[in-house]
Amino acid sequence: MPAKLRFGASLRILLGGKDELTVEPGRSVRATLASLDIKPELVAMVSVNGEMQTKDYVIQEGDTVRLMAVVGGG
Amino acid sequence: MRLYVDNAKCSGCNACRVACSLNLFGENNPKKAALVIEPQFPAPGVYNVKVCTQCGDCAAVCPTEAIKQDEQGAYYVNFDECNLCEACVPECKEEVMFVRSELANTAWKCNLCGDCVAVCGTGALWIAETEAVAA
Amino acid sequence: MNGYGGKILRVNLTDGTVTKEPTPPDVARDFIGGRGFGIYFLLKEVPRGADPLGPENKLIISSGPISGMLIPGGGKCDWTTKAPLTGGYASASMGGHFTAEMRYAGLDSIILEGLSPKPVYLFIDNDKVELRDASDLWGKNTFAVEKQFKERLGEEFQVAVIGPGGENLVPYACINHDYGRQAGRGGVGAVMGSKKVKAIVVHGTKSIPVADKDSYRKAGMAIYKACKDAEGLKDWTRYGTTIVVSWCDEVGALPTRNFSAGSFEDGKNLYGPVMREKIVITDKACFGCPCPCGKYSRNKKYNNYVEGPEYETIGLMGSNLGIDDIEAVAQANLLCDDLGVDTISTGNAIGWAMECYEKGIFTKKDTDGLDLKFGNVEATFAVIEKIARREGLGALLAEGVKHASQKIGKGSEKFAIHVKGMEQSAYATHNATAMLLAYMTCDVGAHHNRSWAITYDLQVGRDKVVPEKVARVIWLQNFRPMFDVLGGCRLQWVELGIDRDLYVPALEAITGIHRSWEDLDKVGERIWNMTRLFWARENEGFGRAWDMPSPRFYEEAPKSGATKGQITKLEDVNKLLDMYYEQRGWTLDGLPTPETIESLGLKAVVA
Repeated sequence: MPAKLRFGASLRILLGGKDELTVEPGRSVRATLASLDIKPELVAMVSVNGEMQTKDYVIQEGDTVRLMAVVGGG
Repeated sequence: MRLYVDNAKCSGCNACRVACSLNLFGENNPKKAALVIEPQFPAPGVYNVKVCTQCGDCAAVCPTEAIKQDEQGAYYVNFDECNLCEACVPECKEEVMFVRSELANTAWKCNLCGDCVAVCGTGALWIAETEAVAA
Repeated sequence: MNGYGGKILRVNLTDGTVTKEPTPPDVARDFIGGRGFGIYFLLKEVPRGADPLGPENKLIISSGPISGMLIPGGGKCDWTTKAPLTGGYASASMGGHFTAEMRYAGLDSIILEGLSPKPVYLFIDNDKVELRDASDLWGKNTFAVEKQFKERLGEEFQVAVIGPGGENLVPYACINHDYGRQAGRGGVGAVMGSKKVKAIVVHGTKSIPVADKDSYRKAGMAIYKACKDAEGLKDWTRYGTTIVVSWCDEVGALPTRNFSAGSFEDGKNLYGPVMREKIVITDKACFGCPCPCGKYSRNKKYNNYVEGPEYETIGLMGSNLGIDDIEAVAQANLLCDDLGVDTISTGNAIGWAMECYEKGIFTKKDTDGLDLKFGNVEATFAVIEKIARREGLGALLAEGVKHASQKIGKGSEKFAIHVKGMEQSAYATHNATAMLLAYMTCDVGAHHNRSWAITYDLQVGRDKVVPEKVARVIWLQNFRPMFDVLGGCRLQWVELGIDRDLYVPALEAITGIHRSWEDLDKVGERIWNMTRLFWARENEGFGRAWDMPSPRFYEEAPKSGATKGQITKLEDVNKLLDMYYEQRGWTLDGLPTPETIESLGLKAVVA
């Protein structure tokens, strides 16, 4: 079963409108982002099934991984 | 059907109370809302929310029968029939039956309109048949 | 007037009189409210050269048309004054429930003027307004005073109070409200202290009239729905502003050891999930907010309760002081709030003093015997207390890092992290040129609230110095502070990414005046230029030199972390300013040109 990446509104803007992607499990969030040509450092927050994780988290089968950027700022 | 609250989820923002006054009176005035938030700060740092259980005790004592029940089972005040006698107020164990004549020419209470639920961002409020259906 | 309380309350503390005047409709039309009202009254009523702590200065407290309404985030209150910290413009934004309550009492602004001969508090209950004796409250900490008022007057009263910091005129004293919300920056608390106003308590039961009730309800509900549907709502609400601690650490934006680096080797002990698990008990919101960033904490280690810490305080009281214990940071936060000093400036002042100590500029003779090394938690607590009371080392640090470093010299000016005398908030700006420019040109000093551009730096290239970056900073400076004009919060837009166009029909339904964001950005630009003109009016020789950042960001590269070895070249700093002034329509010395003044309709303001 693949995993889902979901993008918050701000990240959607950076990525030109995408809001969800299906990805294969087994790789870290960082590596997955790099493979999708998304600069990992643009992602400010990784939340996996509701808990905050680092970009080194290895994506598991069935995970919903929410990714946020901070575009407007603090 | 009634309104339920999970105090642990309330953040004390009062959006529910503005929405309530807007629905009941067409006004922006949380002092005229039918639910109450009691902040308990600095300790223990929680909010106590009081909501109507639709028990009907207020209607039972109303001498002018101004408090009526609608088709979904909610008790509401027909403002035109209220004579401000305040008989209903002490009957309400939840303390959400209001008469404040300086603010309104009628008693008021929750009519289960649901606007409070619609604006609550933390899921602290919900309407259901039983409490178990928590959001 | 639709969308307004309708009255300006003027409190003359010198003779103890209070008067009300109608809110001028043309001012409401042109300046809308909040920070717009603040700069309007400041320029008009405070005479040139006024002493910030003297009788001529005024403290202008303003709500805006979305304050207290069914609009997410309508809980922001603007406090404008001539800043004791910088001698320029100050406008501090305070969350909580005060601004809504002002409106229910029928007030759009409260203007405090003159100086009271004795301690007083301002009591407002609808139309009953009185100055009352506060001799028994003077000297007390903020939490005790707020609690006393709540017990005496009831929970419906909202309280804004100064602590010993404000009483002792610390130029970065804050105003505290709702046990943990502040008007923090620039020394608004010192101005209140100079006027001997210990507190303002307000209660109102009036309704705020709107132009079109049905459209208003629909538009307000639509913004709530957008917030609740936002992808980030749950995570944002769970962590609040601490959501970015780990990311700032990763990208080198987390101020570490007095901004000498942007990553902290023990930073992970300060990350959002650690704090949530260890101390947070309740999510605490400002008025009307569906996505509460306030995290209320039970700090078992120090046996007390505190709101926060939020990101800024974690940065400045944590990593910036080399402290990696979230409970210690929470305790420092509580001390600052209770004593009434701004955590951002205080964290900077202590960081600067720690660096002085580690470099041998200070010895134990200068630190009242404290071993003021980075990471010393107990010394940090002690210094916070000394600052608020202006005792020993605290008397020096209470001047702010600009003046303290000028006094001490020995190269310490180079690591006093400020712009225009205001200490930098918690984003390290090594090799982040857009964010650096945002701090350099911010209208109160080095503060992030107006423009924030770190993601943009990462996206475009951190070291790039290009017109697009400058344009981005300017757009944000015009637009973001408009939330402070409307009396609301920007974080629904910033953090949840909701469409800002949703506010347009809401504002129109409330006030009866249609304003597109293009119109609103223009208002923002006018206000921005007015604040610049205020700086120039109040400071002989004001210009380009005032916009320079701390040399730390162009002379000294960090020795560790994500930005190791990276700085911005001085010529690029100047290039940024050249481009900025040009795009703003300002002279090369950073002053609005006559044409710019004319085109923005500000001729009368300069005259």
